[in-house]
Amino acid sequence: MTTSTAEPMRLTTSVPSSEGPWRRAGHQFLRQRSALIGLVVIGLLAFTALFAPLLAPNDPIGVLLGKEAGIVKRSGPCVHLFGCPADQPQHIMGVDGNFRDLFSRIIYGARLSLLTGFVTVSISLVLGVLLGAVAGYLGGWLDNLIMRLLDVLLAFPFLLLAIAIVSILGPGLLNAMLGIAIVSVPAYARVIRASVLTVREEDYVLAARAIGVPPVSILFGHIMPNAVSPLIVQATLGIGTAILDVAALSFLGLGAQPPTPEWGSMLSAERNQVFTAPHLVFLPGLAIMLTVLGFNLIGDGLRDALDPRLKR
Amino acid sequence: MHIPDRRSLRPLAGALLLALFVPVIAACGGTSTTQNPTAATGPTTAAPTVAATTPLTTTGAITTTEAITTTEAITTTEAITTTEAVTTTAAPLVNTQATYTEGALLSVAAKACGDGYTGNLKAITAVDPTTVKFSFCTPDPAFRAKAAFASFAILPSEYLSATGGAGDLIEKPIGTGPYQIVSWARGDSITLKRFDGYWGEKAKAETVVIRWSAEAAQRLLELQSGTVDGIDNPAPDAFTTIEADKTLQLKPRPGLNVFYLGMNNTFAPFDNEKVRQALAIGIDRERIVKNFYPAGSEVATHFTPCAIPNGCTGEVWPKYDLAAAKKLLAEAGFASGITTTLEYRDVVRGYLPEPGRVAEDIQAQLKELGIIATINVVDSATYLNKAAAGELKGLYLLGWGADFPDMTNFLDYHFGGGASQQFGTKFDDLTKALQQGASQPTDEKRAPSYVEANNLIAKHVPMVPIAHGASGVAYKADVTGAHSSPLSSEFFAVLDPGGRKTFTWLQNGEPAGLYCADETDGESLRVCEQINESLLAYEVGGTAVKPSLAESCDPNADLTEWTCKLRAGVKFHDGSTFDANDVVTSWAVQWDAANPLHKGRAGQFTYFSSLWGGFLNAPPAK
Repeated sequence: MTTSTAEPMRLTTSVPSSEGPWRRAGHQFLRQRSALIGLVVIGLLAFTALFAPLLAPNDPIGVLLGKEAGIVKRSGPCVHLFGCPADQPQHIMGVDGNFRDLFSRIIYGARLSLLTGFVTVSISLVLGVLLGAVAGYLGGWLDNLIMRLLDVLLAFPFLLLAIAIVSILGPGLLNAMLGIAIVSVPAYARVIRASVLTVREEDYVLAARAIGVPPVSILFGHIMPNAVSPLIVQATLGIGTAILDVAALSFLGLGAQPPTPEWGSMLSAERNQVFTAPHLVFLPGLAIMLTVLGFNLIGDGLRDALDPRLKR
Repeated sequence: MHIPDRRSLRPLAGALLLALFVPVIAACGGTSTTQNPTAATGPTTAAPTVAATTPLTTTGAITTTEAITTTEAITTTEAITTTEAVTTTAAPLVNTQATYTEGALLSVAAKACGDGYTGNLKAITAVDPTTVKFSFCTPDPAFRAKAAFASFAILPSEYLSATGGAGDLIEKPIGTGPYQIVSWARGDSITLKRFDGYWGEKAKAETVVIRWSAEAAQRLLELQSGTVDGIDNPAPDAFTTIEADKTLQLKPRPGLNVFYLGMNNTFAPFDNEKVRQALAIGIDRERIVKNFYPAGSEVATHFTPCAIPNGCTGEVWPKYDLAAAKKLLAEAGFASGITTTLEYRDVVRGYLPEPGRVAEDIQAQLKELGIIATINVVDSATYLNKAAAGELKGLYLLGWGADFPDMTNFLDYHFGGGASQQFGTKFDDLTKALQQGASQPTDEKRAPSYVEANNLIAKHVPMVPIAHGASGVAYKADVTGAHSSPLSSEFFAVLDPGGRKTFTWLQNGEPAGLYCADETDGESLRVCEQINESLLAYEVGGTAVKPSLAESCDPNADLTEWTCKLRAGVKFHDGSTFDANDVVTSWAVQWDAANPLHKGRAGQFTYFSSLWGGFLNAPPAK
């Protein structure tokens, strides 16, 4: 009984005023149910991706034809526990058109999707932050030049420009990520520039400048830490978008090349079987949907948690 | 005390900016101005950039072609002045091999057989307005079967010269067929209407609309929902669905075709015969046919299907033997493996019902052999042009559907002296055997040559034949006259869509052009066959040759001369009368590479050169 009374005691002692801003944001975040759901989904996904070789029953690109008795092309999910005849080989999500285990492919696909999401966003973050921070901090003609060039990028339809870039670079997963990354740069640059513009005129920045702190230190030591929270939200939402866009490019044949188990290309490869073998289309689609949803939920949660005006 | 200001960062930032943006800007500019071959690799032609890089399927590029050809057309017509002299005026300038005779009756003749001219056709003469004589250097027993083919359709000579051999000719062909073209909405549909002045039995349906979709699922869905009356190539998995549906009917199409794994022997490592032989036995072809083809398909024992006379003579293709294949590769010096590409076009054809799945299976099989192949999907028209020009450097998937049931259609087209650069350098022993086979008068007398040819193909392995694929055509149940053609040339004039006025047909792809002298894709040929007619024709749903624009074509005793008696009173869609000069002109523009009208869409005229041995004034080989 003593422990149960101790719990609420600890909670009441941690009053918001005594917390640091990051801790407070963390608490705010965990208080939202949707954000938690997002966290769980992405947590599971990360777990799957990390331990893919242990979880996957088969080689994701291994053709099982001739290696497994009784395998049927495009056969539906078969789990012995749920009444699937024992003479049929067990495949939790069925078999694809090339006699490969769909479950294994989807598990390895999680790896690729997370990788594409993080790499794409990292590339565009680095470029976007550098451009946006420099533009916002220095201002003047350089600011104008950078922002107008980014406006030009923004003027193209998002996916169309990405397709154009990939067409020039040649199809492939790496190029698809690069294409999407380049196209997403303006969004990050704008967000960081706006934050830098407001923080730049704060007193502590003026003070730092007055005591002779070098400009690079001012920008990255004093301004950036205080301008970064909208960027975190943008980046989290951006991961979801990036995964979706890379899947779209792969669907068009510009991204991952066969036999890579990428969700978008898996969907594309079996699109004509949507009536005859729907699991081959819906399951990869579902995986994409869940992943993007997870990142979006986290992003929304972060936005609410990091916004000082939304204190509850 | 020095207070550093923001200025000190500027040069650094400027340099960074420049470095970042130069490639981006170059990338953006590049899409609109340059043609990037890799851009065409997307499977959907709907993607704008993909379409933009295949000039002949985009409206923008068409305008340019039209612009060019119109100016040329003007100069041609100016020079010619009279219509019957179509082929004469420009001839003396460049023609070293052809002699034209003008006047009321045209004739074209090769100055000499041999002597730089590889072809077999010697002369085409309009004897009188209803008689045309074809003379050959050596006997040509397959003349009737070949002359019936859609590429040798007869067009009005006036229209040929008016269009300059390209431009409108490709968009709006004029012929004598049961249907005439109304419009071709690029990327959407082709509309045909009944030609009331047709000489034969009039078409049943008043209008025919031809549409296309590369997606088998969409084709079936549209047929089920009733928006179309007939579809080509339903997916193999859907055959049972269609047969079970009382509102639909399935017409199976026998596999009068071949699907092969191609390679070009001018590129390493395929210039090494041992590598090619290793591929011949290193691919489990039975596994491909068994798992990715519908019932009724056969593993290819020869390049030509057995239903073609002499097709299956000679030794059977060697059995799958992975260990022996690896040994051959090691002997060739590739024990450590090969890295190459595996290219295909993502379109369904009777010989290849599931391109993507088959490509990935072959990729997996090649890996067992130690060959790492990167899959590359190329837009269909670009792919065919590149194949014919010999520009595909790696392995590639392609096939061939019979146009007429004769060995020459399969072997001469691919491996004969007049064949394209598709497989690289030709094999002299093989071309010689084919030439010999083509000139024998009967199938029995041709047999020894084709035994030799088939054995030489198995020895040299210019490609690996894999399957003779069965396919199908599905119609709504109320369509009468429903049929499938082993030549993939379903004839719409005999179809009655349950009394409705319009018959809508959904095929795999959009035609590249409708001047079929310069087309090789079945999607184009089928549309041409509704509009244009050749001297002879194949029976509906079969392969037998029957009279068409010619009432008869008869040979002389040694088969070196074929005299065709033309049908009287036949009108073209534009109202002009069909006569012997139209026949001579239609053939001559294809035959003589120096003819000012020898243009077409890509200017390859592959069928003519491969079936008749070569062009007059053929441009020197690259």
